[in-house]
Amino acid sequence: MSAHDHAHGHDAHGYGPHHVTSTKTFVSVLLVLLFLTIITVAASRVDFGAANLLIAMLIASVKASLVIAIFMHVKWDTAINKLVFLSSFLFLSLLLIFTLSDQATRGDDDPLRTVKLPVDNGFVQPKPHAENH
Amino acid sequence: MSHDHGHSVVVPAPGPGFLPHTVAHHFDTPKQEFQAAKLGFWLFLATEILLFGGLFAAYFYFHQVYPETFKVGGAQLNWRLGAVNTIVLLLSSWTMAMGVRSAQVSQKGKLLMYCALTVLGAVIFMCIKFVEYQAKFDHGLLPVFGGMHDALGQQLQWYTDHDGVMAGVPHGNLFFSIYFTMTAIHGLHVIIGAGLIVWIMFGAAKGRFHANYFLPVDLVGLYWHLVDLIWIFLFPLLYLVP
Repeated sequence: MSAHDHAHGHDAHGYGPHHVTSTKTFVSVLLVLLFLTIITVAASRVDFGAANLLIAMLIASVKASLVIAIFMHVKWDTAINKLVFLSSFLFLSLLLIFTLSDQATRGDDDPLRTVKLPVDNGFVQPKPHAENH
Repeated sequence: MSHDHGHSVVVPAPGPGFLPHTVAHHFDTPKQEFQAAKLGFWLFLATEILLFGGLFAAYFYFHQVYPETFKVGGAQLNWRLGAVNTIVLLLSSWTMAMGVRSAQVSQKGKLLMYCALTVLGAVIFMCIKFVEYQAKFDHGLLPVFGGMHDALGQQLQWYTDHDGVMAGVPHGNLFFSIYFTMTAIHGLHVIIGAGLIVWIMFGAAKGRFHANYFLPVDLVGLYWHLVDLIWIFLFPLLYLVP
């Protein structure tokens, strides 16, 4: 019963030591998040070509990291909780990388799209359905 | 290690106005209860990331195939309303974080105040969302049953695009399918989150949450931050289509 007895000791009541984030930290994070929102809108006004999507996702990722690390206390959480939550982003990246790289290296078989030549890989593209409309 | 059933561990209240917490009988210590619940909740949040992840994959896939459709579609949305909603969610995420902090240091009044402010943020967000949806419905941009006919042969007026805003680009309904699916599932999370925070407020008013027991406040807080997390990506992707 030693573990049980210990639980009745004053210090062991509650959850043991837990991290209480200071108000100052929370306010600073909020200000950075609001500032980055302005940057997001400003960056979308400038034409960087294909880089616009990358820039927008980069800023969003910085904002998301702040929310996860500070607001969601992941920075002070246990290793197993970090592993469980952060691994979901690893699996998500697998889904995105394979789906998008597959799409990017394909030919075009949609008659409604602007004409793009099929990738010459020896594979015969199926003919579009004649007179769709 | 034979634990007597019926002799559960009780976490004492930190002072007057607070209630003690009885640890569920299948846990030995409050800490074990806390860590088990937290691990389970992180696992649930990981599945939420993957739920929205599938939708993000659909967005990126079709954005890659029909960039013009997404540009024209995104231009139909009011980015100012989207930006206001972004600020509302960031502020409400902050009030929720402060609410969890208040519970951790046994400040009942502040916990109630921050929870109320967070719910207020949820209400403002949904009101703005309602105004935005209404405008899109009026333009016939809800795509669910586009081109379908009802039992009497009458065409269902779902995706008509009668003002022709998407006429110049292929598969105009595609953008709005993705827009409505993602924002509606996100909006559902906002409503569920607000409901959970109201539930926290009832418990907080009774004094259930304090420095020795704040687990439910912590978990509901995590859920609310996830809602904010998803919106951080939805705003630039839908309203400021790159």
